[in-house]
Formats: sequence, structure tokens, C-alpha cells
Amino acid sequence: MGEFIQFTLNGLMAGTIYALIAVGIVSVFKATKVVNFAHGYIIMFGAYFYFTFSVIVPGAPWAPDWLQSWEPAWMVAMKADLPMFSPMGAVLDWLSNLPRIVLGLAGAVICNALLGLLIERTLMRPLIGQSTFAMIMITVGLISVLSGTKGLIWTADAEFVPHIAPNTPIRLNLFDTPIFLFGADLVNVAVALLLFGAIVAMVRYTKGGVAIRATAEDQSTAYSMGISVPRVFSRAWVLAATTGAIAGAILATRNGVSPSLGLFGFSVLAIVLMGGLDSYVGVFIAALTVGFLEAMAQWQFGGEFAEVVPYVAVLIVILIRPHGLFGQKEVERI
Amino acid sequence: MITGDLKATYAADERVLNNSYKQAFVVAMAALCALMPLIANDYIILVASQMGIMLIAVVGVNVVIGYTGLLSLGHAAFMAIGAYSIPILHRLMDNAGLPDGVMPFIAIPGAIAISAIVGIIVGLPSLRVKGLYLAVATLSANFIIIFLIELEALAPWTGGLVGLNTPDANILGWQLDTQREMFALIAALAFLTILTVQNLFRTRVGRAFIAIRERDYSAEILGISLFRYKLMSFAISAACCGLAGALFAYFYARILPEQFELALSLQLVAALIVGGMGRTMGPVFGVMVIVMVPEVLKFTFGMVAGGAAEVAQLRAPVQEIIFGLLIIFFLMFEPLGINQLVDRGIRALNRWPFARG
Repeated sequence: MGEFIQFTLNGLMAGTIYALIAVGIVSVFKATKVVNFAHGYIIMFGAYFYFTFSVIVPGAPWAPDWLQSWEPAWMVAMKADLPMFSPMGAVLDWLSNLPRIVLGLAGAVICNALLGLLIERTLMRPLIGQSTFAMIMITVGLISVLSGTKGLIWTADAEFVPHIAPNTPIRLNLFDTPIFLFGADLVNVAVALLLFGAIVAMVRYTKGGVAIRATAEDQSTAYSMGISVPRVFSRAWVLAATTGAIAGAILATRNGVSPSLGLFGFSVLAIVLMGGLDSYVGVFIAALTVGFLEAMAQWQFGGEFAEVVPYVAVLIVILIRPHGLFGQKEVERI
Repeated sequence: MITGDLKATYAADERVLNNSYKQAFVVAMAALCALMPLIANDYIILVASQMGIMLIAVVGVNVVIGYTGLLSLGHAAFMAIGAYSIPILHRLMDNAGLPDGVMPFIAIPGAIAISAIVGIIVGLPSLRVKGLYLAVATLSANFIIIFLIELEALAPWTGGLVGLNTPDANILGWQLDTQREMFALIAALAFLTILTVQNLFRTRVGRAFIAIRERDYSAEILGISLFRYKLMSFAISAACCGLAGALFAYFYARILPEQFELALSLQLVAALIVGGMGRTMGPVFGVMVIVMVPEVLKFTFGMVAGGAAEVAQLRAPVQEIIFGLLIIFFLMFEPLGINQLVDRGIRALNRWPFARG
């Protein structure tokens, strides 16, 4: 029982990160009707930008020392008094890393926003009004371009980056079995949930969100009502790229930066289709379900089975409900 | 449409090679392929064989994406099925005590049949979903099939992560153990595949595929069974990819699961988009470009850098970027592919010396 709870918690925590990634795909789809196959690679860029600004830049010879490791006198004094492995020690370690974490996150978000704008401007905007097939295939071409560009810029593999929160282990006792959680994981979940909620609220209540929904409903009507559709497009791409940057940074803290982060995008794409492309709620439920199922597969059959869970799940769901769990059925006119 | 090309009889109109450019091109290609094993060096034979294998696969992809309009991103999986069928079938036949000389005659059709059956299974979602959903469903199928091949439990048959050694083809005692001999087989089968598929689109089946591409509901109203023809399209295209995979297995000494991952699926689609979707010659032009890109890059990098290892490391990423840019460039500026460029050139030639009217 205890093991079950441990794996369930791990799965649900992974699920919230999936949801954070999925929000990027859903937002772009809602606004532009384009499914971004390359979203995983945008996330990978976010992770590498985080790596650049939190590891490479602070480690450069011209960077000030406090950026690499901020250690004022009071912190040194406090550290000296602490016993080994105390929770306070972890918090202090995090504090001395804080400058580079903040720099890393800011750099990743800004660079990824620029990347999103660049993609939207050069590849998507010229194709407004063309068939969606062309736009989708362009994002498929983008996969190769992004993954090759990564290979040209960064050669680092499996490098570790600082956690975005103090990583204190938390031990609980449930049903007489110990359960381990890590502070950083909990903060990751909180960040993911907050961002997800904020985006859903934004789409529902703010003026920009209404513009996105109107564009999703009917592009030409939205245009004639005075909504600048190109601006909605670029806003959606920036939104996807920035949430992708944060998701990438979180993923990088969990497993290190590596090109395989790009493949993550495909399993999230499967999750998005499972939940229904235009439904935030459906995608959230699908993300948690897949996270849970992955953890169960890992527990019962071993790690390599977890990888195919999203693909098997999406095939089953698509066969039963072609538009996903909560997706809107498209009406087709001949 | 190619103008300036008068047909005086129905027989002339119905010919497969219905104008002199097509005749010249096909005759030249056939002559080149026939002469190549005699005069070309090993390197050219290697590149040409790669082209032949890719060509058969892309012709298959063309059936499903180009003619039937079903977006599939998982065709590398069918190549994997075809390739893995060869050593497994050879082992089964060894156990049954069959002579080596007849094995390819059973193994190649066997590989094609197994791929076609898997193609029908993978095509099943196409009855419920289309477009993007189908793309993701086939992509998922690709991941799942590669996962099954890599699975520990099936490793006695598939070799798991480290792959399998593959046998040489032996046709009635003629051991095809050099790449030169394999090239002859590949070239012959590539010609045969193109002809068969071209012929398919002169029949009722092919026309049904095209009707489904144009509008599947309208096709159904016209009495075309979507169930039957969509699955048939998947089966035919998977069969072509299975043949390509089988030749791949005979051609190389060893096959690995990672050779058939998503990257290969994307390469097949890239070749199709670059060449021109839904056209007979599209795959031919596309494959020439896609296979030549790495070779030209190798050559340029060799000239620029000599033997510098740091520069040579950049080759793989540059190659990836070029593949991606090719897809993007053709989709944005010439969605009908090289085939359309060639058509345009031929039209200009026909009218020469007059300008476009």
C-alpha cells in the first residue's frame, strides 16, 4: 500500500509537469489551429537556455563571483553551525544558488519568448489562411531544424543544473511505510499548477484571452470585429514558448539537460490528443492519468514500459473517442 | 499539364510514358542502372543502393500520404517490420531444412505480407480519425513497434537493443554477397515497384484512393467503401515499405532498432514533400535530393576542413538542419515539389523559343 502511494504521488507530480507542457500545445492550437509537433524541441531549447544562464554564464571568467555562489558572511557563519544533511542546510545551499537560478529562469523565459516570436514571424505568419496540413508539416520540419541547431550550439549532454527550490527530502509515514518526497518536486508541482491555473484564468477572463477564444471560433469574423489576428497568433506562440521554457527548466533539474528532452514533446502530444485538443480541463485530466499510469507501469513492469504508456493510452482513447476525452467534435461541411 | 504535346490516337494518350521526355528519362535511367554494376566504383554503388531502398519506401509513403491523403508519420516502423522479418524467416526456414537458394523467394514475399498485415492494424485508427489525429496515431504506432523490437522478452528473436546480423540473399545458388550484386536486385525491384504503383492509379482502386483524398465523405456518398480502401491504402504502402526494409536487411550486414526510429519516418516524409506528393516521379526526385544531401555535405566538409575532428562533428547537426529547411522551404515556396519545377521546365522547353503566353 505504501509503495502504491509513493508511486501514485510520483506519477501525479510528473503529470502536473506534463500538464504544464501540454498547455503550450493547447494554447497554440486554440489560437491558430496548428498543432505544434516541435513543442518538445522548444522545451529542449528552454532547458538548454536555463543551462546556459545558470551554469555556463556564471561559470565564465568575466562573471562576478556572487553569481556563481552567493555567500555573505552571515550565511557562512550559519552553515558552519549546522549538522550534516539538515533541512536548513539545503535551504542555505539553495539561497547561495539563488542568483544563478533567477538569472537562468529569466534568461530561459526571455530567449524562448524570442524563439517563439521568431518561429511565428518567419514560418507561421506567411502561411495564415493556407491549409493546416502545410502548417503542421512545417512544425515537423522545425523538429529537424531545432534539433540540428541544438547540436551546433550546445554539445553538452546530461549536464546537471541547479534545482529551482531547496531540495530537502521530506519523509512521511503512511500505513507503516516511509514515503519520500523532495522539496524541489513539490515546488515544481506548485509552479506548474499555478501557471496552468493562471493561463486558464487568463484565457477565460482577460481581454487578450477573449481575443484568443474569438480567433479560435472563427478567424475572419474575429478579424472583422477588430481583433488583430496576427497579434493573437504571436501572443499564443510567446505564451507556449515561455511556459515551455519553465517546463524545460523543471525537466532539466529532474534529469539533466539532454537531447532526449525533445522526445518528451511527442508523449505530451499524445496526452493532448487524449484529453481533447481544445480543452484545458480534458488535457489536465489526461496528463494526470498518464502520469499515474506511467508510474504504475514503472512500478509493475519496469522503467522501459513507462515510455510507451502515453502512446498506448492515446491509441486506445482515439479509437473509442476520436476527439479525445473532452474535445469538441469538429463539424465538417462538404 | 504539359502543353505542346499532341496525341493523335487514344493508344498514344493511354501509354504509361505518354511523352518523349518521360521516355527519354526512363530509358536513360534504366540504361544507367544496367551499366552501373559494370562500370561504377563501390562508393557510387553504395549511394545508388541507398537511393533504391529509400525510393521503394517513399513510393509506399506516397500511396498513403500523396494519393489517399492520410497523414502518416510512422512508416519507418513498416520498414523495421520488413527488415526484421528477413533474419527471423531465414532462421525459421533454416530450422525447417529448406535450401538457401529458395529462401529469398519465400522471405521477401513473407516480409511484404507481414508488413502489410501490420499496416492494416496500424491503419485501423484511420477509420475513426484523420488528419492530425491520424498523424499522432501512426507516430505512436512507430514508437510502440520500436519499443516491442527493443523489448528484453522478445530479444531471442529480435536481438533487442544490439540488433541482428542479417543473412545474404541467395537466389537459386547465386550468392548476392557483394553490394554490387545487391544493387542489381534493388534496382530491378525499384523499377518494378514504381511501375506497379503507377499502374495502380490507372485502376479503380487507385481512383478510389484519389477520391478519398479529395473529400472522404463525398467519396463515401459515391459508393466508395472507406473501410476497405483506407485499409487497402495502408496495406499497399506498408507492403512497399516492407519490401524496402527486406532489401535493407539483405543489403547491410546488421540491422539495429535505432535505424528505424522517428528520424527515418521524417526522412521519408521529407523526401516525399521535396519531390512532390501524389505524383509518380515525386519520390524519385525527392529521394535523389535526400540521399545526396549527406553525401554532398560529407564532400564539402572534407574539402573545407580536411580531417579536423571538431569541424567533422558539426556535420550531423548541419545535415539535420538542411533536412528541416528543405521541408519548410518546399512547403512555403513550392508545395508541389521538384516534380512541379520539372514540369514547368518541360513546358518552357516545349514552347521554346516563345515565352509563356
